[in-house]
Amino acid sequence: MSITIENLNKNFGSYKALDNINLEVNSGELLALLGPSGCGKTSLLRIIGGMELADSGKLLFHGEDVQQRDARERNVGFVFQHYALFRHMTVFENVAFGLRVKPKKERHNEAEIKRRVHELLNLVQLDFLHDRYPAQLSGGQRQRIALARALAVEPKILLLDEPFGALDAQVRKELRRWLRRLHDELHITSIFVTHDQEEALEVADRVVVMNKGKIEQVGTPDEVYAAPATPFVYKFIGNVNMFHSRDHAPWAAEHGDAVAYVRPHDIDISRIAQDDTALPVEVKLVRAIGSIVRVEVALDSSSEIIQIELSRERFDSAPLVIGDKVFIRPRQFRVFESGVLNELSAA
Amino acid sequence: MSSFKAHSVLPGFNLALGFTLLYLSLIVLIPLSSLFFKTATLGWGGFYDVATSDRVLASLRVTFTTSFVAAIVNALFGLIVAWVLVRYKFPGKRIIDALVDLPFALPTAVAGITLATLYAPNGWLGQYFAAQDIKVAYTPLGIVVALTFIGLPFVVRTVQPVLADVEAEVEEAAASLGAGRWDVFRRVIFPAIFPALLTGFSLAFARAIGEYGSVIFIAGNMPYISEISPLLIVAKLEQYDYAGATAIAVIMLLLSFSLLLAINALQWWSSNRGAR
Repeated sequence: MSITIENLNKNFGSYKALDNINLEVNSGELLALLGPSGCGKTSLLRIIGGMELADSGKLLFHGEDVQQRDARERNVGFVFQHYALFRHMTVFENVAFGLRVKPKKERHNEAEIKRRVHELLNLVQLDFLHDRYPAQLSGGQRQRIALARALAVEPKILLLDEPFGALDAQVRKELRRWLRRLHDELHITSIFVTHDQEEALEVADRVVVMNKGKIEQVGTPDEVYAAPATPFVYKFIGNVNMFHSRDHAPWAAEHGDAVAYVRPHDIDISRIAQDDTALPVEVKLVRAIGSIVRVEVALDSSSEIIQIELSRERFDSAPLVIGDKVFIRPRQFRVFESGVLNELSAA
Repeated sequence: MSSFKAHSVLPGFNLALGFTLLYLSLIVLIPLSSLFFKTATLGWGGFYDVATSDRVLASLRVTFTTSFVAAIVNALFGLIVAWVLVRYKFPGKRIIDALVDLPFALPTAVAGITLATLYAPNGWLGQYFAAQDIKVAYTPLGIVVALTFIGLPFVVRTVQPVLADVEAEVEEAAASLGAGRWDVFRRVIFPAIFPALLTGFSLAFARAIGEYGSVIFIAGNMPYISEISPLLIVAKLEQYDYAGATAIAVIMLLLSFSLLLAINALQWWSSNRGAR
């Protein structure tokens, strides 16, 4: 089911949580709401789920206005960061909850409820835990149960609020891959909130980057990483070096008061000046991290540190040591003039 | 002895257990056991005569039924008070919160006299009941009123923190799964607070069984109708019938203990589901 959001606003007192949000969520896609804490992503999710009301604007499910509909009438599955499982119920009863509270005439008989619950528990690969209580499960298991519980009522839309936020790194990685596979099987329109850019880029079909209650950019993971629409997106997704036209960076100079943004892996290092735009620098730090080598250099003209990432291969072919005097030149950069995209450039 | 303390990393087990046993003995067991010794001077026959005398049986019936009714009333309305105090924000909330504890602080005799005056047929409130032909003061109903008054804080104070602990998220989760308000309360909130409610109930109940000060002023103390067992004990003491007084006390003790044990078992069972 598609979701359309038009001119949505939400204030908490004088604080603007959502500022004129417009967004189209396609049917069957997995969308990530990405942003720092306090950017309004959770508020947006809760408004879609019916847990909060927008101050103004439109919210349509498949073209139908649902603003007046209660959370229980929206047929939306919701998964919480801290699981929100029912502590006094077994895993089985947790998953069965949504089926048991259906109005009498829609309710399935006990055998059918049993069949469906076990089917869902098999889907999340935890059927063997059906008679345990939530307190006896690990965090990752609890979140999978919470997901099974949300899926039990066959929602048309699935909303996940920082679903992996409370888990440790290893479990997070496993679970998000698992979520991606699950989504490929079920094709429920899903929105998940996260502040972890890696998670958003890895899992989502499209990413919505938010900041201070506004949408900064909507695009595929590749688009938001390779072609950030605003300086904020540049800084929030991945690492970036900024070159101010006033101080240095001849390639940005012609724009007056502008800033060039360059990814650490888009910088070439050379012993001799490539051309007259190359910047002379001194190597300050060399650190091998897994498959990449991170090099920090300082411009001769200032103490500002520039981060460069090289593949191991590339580094090995021309090794550097601290104190080396070298030249750098960006392969690719974007220039923003007072926050507005001015030029894309590939040198 | 060493086998069940071997795994503990906490120090001071021997000292703590020894202190606990000594303290309980001094404060609870020795005074209570002396009750049994004094009662034993009656012999089985004497004890049986006291225990089965009509007046004692009637007083026990009055004591336990009024206490039970009062505890039920408290469980119900205490839950509502706790609910309001936890869930809503309103001006004067702190004052109301503080008011709840007043029955703890007030001398029970003062409460008894006040209630008796209010609910007497010519009292402020009693006159309206009297108009409906309902007598409150000087009847078992009056006893229930007094016991409800003194038992209220127990339920409110035990339920309040537990209710505050029920996360809003759990209710939102239930709502998003299609549960109506009643289903959310019945299936999610109530099971979570039930053990605490039961604790509050049993505390209010136990307190009511032993209550003396507030009841005697409003009860009217008519034998067989509104005479409570504690009053009967005092009456026996005033007649220097010490063994008879302790005999009634022993009966009350055994009844209370078995009731509380049963409530505790019920509570253990209910909180053990999923609490681990």
